[in-house]
Amino acid sequence: MFPTPIQKASPAARIGYQVLLPVALMIWLIPLIGVAVTSLRPASDLAAGNYFGIPSGLAFENYAAVFRDSPIGWYILNSFKVTVPTVIGAVALSCLTGFALAVYGFRANLWVFFAFVAGNFIPFQILMVPVRDMTLRAGMYDTTLGLVLFHIAFQTGFCTLFMRNFIKGLPFALIESARVEGVSEWRIFRHIVLPLMRPAIAALSVLVFTFVWNDYFWATVLVQGQHAMPVTAGLYSLNGQWVAAWHLVSAGSIVAALPPVLMFFLMQRHFIAGLTLGATKG
Amino acid sequence: MSDTARSAGFWKRNQLKIAPWAFLAPGAIMFLLYVLIPIVQSVWISFHDWDGLGDKVWIGLGNYVELLDDDTFYVALKNNLIWLALYLLAIPMGLATALFLNQTVWGIRLYKSLFFFPFVISQVVVGLMFTWFYAPDFGLFSQLIKWLTGTEIAVLADERFVTLGIIVAGLWPQTAYCMILYLTGLNNLNPEQIEAARMDNARGWRLLWHVILPQLAPATFIAMVVTVIGALRSFDLVSIMTAGGPYGSSQVLSYFMYEQALSEYGYRMGYGAAIAVVLFLIMMVFITLFIVRMIAQERNR
Amino acid sequence: MAEVSLSKVTKEFGAVSVIKGIDLQIADGEFCVFVGPSGCGKSTLLRMVAGLEEISSGALRIGGRDMTQVGPSDRGVAMVFQSYALYPHMTVAENIGFGLRMTGHDKAEIAKRTSAAAKMLQLDHLLDRKPGQLSGGQRQRVAIGRAIVRNPDVFLFDEPLSNLDAALRVQMRGEISRLHQDLGATMIYVTHDQVEAMTMADKIVVLSAGHIEQVGSPLELYHRPRNLFVAGFIGSPKMNFLTVEARPAPGGAEVTLPGGAVVTLAGQIAVAGQMTLGLRPEHASATGVGDAVLEGTVKLAEHLGSETLFFVALSDGSEIAVKADGLASERPGDRMRVGVPARACHLFDAAGQALINGDLTR
Ligand SMILES: Nc1ncnc2c1ncn2[C@@H]1O[C@H](COP(=O)(O)OP(=O)(O)OP(=O)(O)O)[C@@H](O)[C@H]1O
Ligand SMILES: [Mg+2]
Repeated sequence: MFPTPIQKASPAARIGYQVLLPVALMIWLIPLIGVAVTSLRPASDLAAGNYFGIPSGLAFENYAAVFRDSPIGWYILNSFKVTVPTVIGAVALSCLTGFALAVYGFRANLWVFFAFVAGNFIPFQILMVPVRDMTLRAGMYDTTLGLVLFHIAFQTGFCTLFMRNFIKGLPFALIESARVEGVSEWRIFRHIVLPLMRPAIAALSVLVFTFVWNDYFWATVLVQGQHAMPVTAGLYSLNGQWVAAWHLVSAGSIVAALPPVLMFFLMQRHFIAGLTLGATKG
Repeated sequence: MSDTARSAGFWKRNQLKIAPWAFLAPGAIMFLLYVLIPIVQSVWISFHDWDGLGDKVWIGLGNYVELLDDDTFYVALKNNLIWLALYLLAIPMGLATALFLNQTVWGIRLYKSLFFFPFVISQVVVGLMFTWFYAPDFGLFSQLIKWLTGTEIAVLADERFVTLGIIVAGLWPQTAYCMILYLTGLNNLNPEQIEAARMDNARGWRLLWHVILPQLAPATFIAMVVTVIGALRSFDLVSIMTAGGPYGSSQVLSYFMYEQALSEYGYRMGYGAAIAVVLFLIMMVFITLFIVRMIAQERNR
Repeated sequence: MAEVSLSKVTKEFGAVSVIKGIDLQIADGEFCVFVGPSGCGKSTLLRMVAGLEEISSGALRIGGRDMTQVGPSDRGVAMVFQSYALYPHMTVAENIGFGLRMTGHDKAEIAKRTSAAAKMLQLDHLLDRKPGQLSGGQRQRVAIGRAIVRNPDVFLFDEPLSNLDAALRVQMRGEISRLHQDLGATMIYVTHDQVEAMTMADKIVVLSAGHIEQVGSPLELYHRPRNLFVAGFIGSPKMNFLTVEARPAPGGAEVTLPGGAVVTLAGQIAVAGQMTLGLRPEHASATGVGDAVLEGTVKLAEHLGSETLFFVALSDGSEIAVKADGLASERPGDRMRVGVPARACHLFDAAGQALINGDLTR
């Protein structure tokens, strides 16, 4: 264990550490805390110049106003319409590709694998013009479907990397043993490998959910109008309307950030397992 | 003959050859269609003058020549380098935070989660938070500066500080990401090696440097990868916080490209594609380094 | 009938040749053990029989049918892996019945065969457990059960006991032997372990660097090793090798031992020269009884209770191991007269081929 456990340090250091923890956290999260407090501050406080003091009351009204006076509810629905199908699609495809790359030693294996990996690192801008053009011509511009298809394809790169490494970690003898027993390749995938992939599927689901929910670039490139706009792009356009109405901007931000935050807290272990893939040996 | 031996049909005989391609096909086709082919198309488009609707007009290297004469391009390039250099600070900062939090005291799990929090939030929201944070008059940060120095700085409206201000916003989630990578790495250290080093009288910094960091190398590698990629991809924050301003002083290549290709000034797809190709080539340097290392690791398995 | 026959079988991994032309006949119902040093290709050869590795060239026939190009599931073989390869998400019963379920057998049939196999292996009370809740020996039995239910012609085992502790290993050894008697199926078994090979096999195949050194019954290999490699590999502790001068003589081969003593071996050699004399530690005598005597100094004495193993340095610097009575009292530094019985000696030419094998019945 490194650094040395604080339990072995002097009592003073121990207390110091316990005090420092919350202080450091407060400083670290100042922007967040500030926005959270502002989102609950009555508009009258801001008008009166009370930006930092104790709010004169808790204005849950700000949240109600955001939902009532802006299409943010609709934007959030759009985000779900983009995110959920993407999660399902990308995870399903990458289960298949990951299996193919982990189990079969065909000649092009490593090349295909590295194409997926490299695709992951590419700047979005190099894809922007052709993908936008293709989506336009397919009649999917300004629809959630257009976004979903792109996100599925792109996320498949990362997911394949993840799934392939996960399956490689399973004992290969399981697969060979099934082969000797006469089990077809599809059924080996379906009955042996897939049930063992549950943790990987959970990890990828939360990760992809977060990535896609938080996407902003493609939401602006492939969508123009309100009817298909996800909440990230929506929030940006609302920010333009709510000039200086910081209590509304703050409330809107908190609302937009909430789903991935809830996802993170509910499935923390999977989330971190997915994110830190490769950070340790073996 | 027992019941396990049956006559082999075509499928059974060739199953092992066909199966990988069958499993690969759906994902690979999607990836090809939406990622690999568009890269080639972008390069192709970059040799054209094109508004996205009419016919493409071949102008050879015209877009690239124009780029060399474009002042904004150099500003963006310079800013990208600044992003790259400063963004890497997320790695030591993440390590420091991880070391600070790698204790087992009551409630530490919650602390770790909360420290990680900024990464979970959309960059759009992060951008808005920091815009509020920097806002002149009522922003917490500008109040702090005023209180400390007596003068007020409007960070996002000041050409000297604007890029720095955006990068700090970017470092916030990126540090959290690096922290979680290192926390996982620290969690998986070989305790016997550390004990052996302690018996050898290695302590503190020297223990960190000679024993811990080498064991954290995989985490450092991943942190490097995601940080470099993150720095070059910086789009969301620039778009949200300044849209490249004031006077283009916070431009980066990714936003510059977007602006040229899809802005109110008209759609210059070919020019945008050329910028994207330049960004892609810069990124390719790093991607190649990463892949070479990954290949080496695969070979060693 | 499921005899297994390999002819001129080879295997290359890329440019590396791992199996270099194997010819081997395994009779129906025979228990055949592959032994050899680590990396010699035992597993590879077994996996080629299973169909898990392609055969680069040559032919494999099982029960008379050419199986060279046939997939693993159609060869009528079942394999037990060193790691057991139990499916962690299935119960014992599901593990055992999985192959049958996947190949379209009906439920009643699966249940019947599963319970029969479970009974045979004393797994009846564990059928609802997951592999994670079983001991090593129990897991091993499930892996064997999975092979049994498929009613294969040939069982393949790759070091199935190497993950078990010593006591369990002895027990499972017995169980597998009993299974072989009960089922009468052909079995091919890969092991590192001398004792497993000697006690279980009808036929041992000694492999080295991808080719067969010798095939024979356990006692044949022990008594009549064909070359130095087999002589050194079979038997524990290892056979002693002494560099000697040998020449043809009337009535046998006259061998001059280190230190000058001469012993005459029954058997013919054609030419004189420097050769290698092989003598097992258990045949050398610590009390000087024999047809010739080697003088030396005890370097090390290992007291095992039932027996004592002496390592004796000879005058020319070579060393010889001698197995003696558990009560032998010599200590390091003591002089020892090691008796060499001529009928127990093996003689190998400069190329390592056996010229004379001792015959203890003489
Ligand atoms: N897939 C492979 N690619 C390349 N070489 C291989 C492969 N599998 C095995 N080998 C090589 O073939 C040789 C024989 O391996 P094999 O596993 O058959 O040895 P073994 O006799 O079973 O050894 P052990 O007793 O250690 O299990 C080894 O040198 C090994 O390195
Ligand atoms: Mg082996």
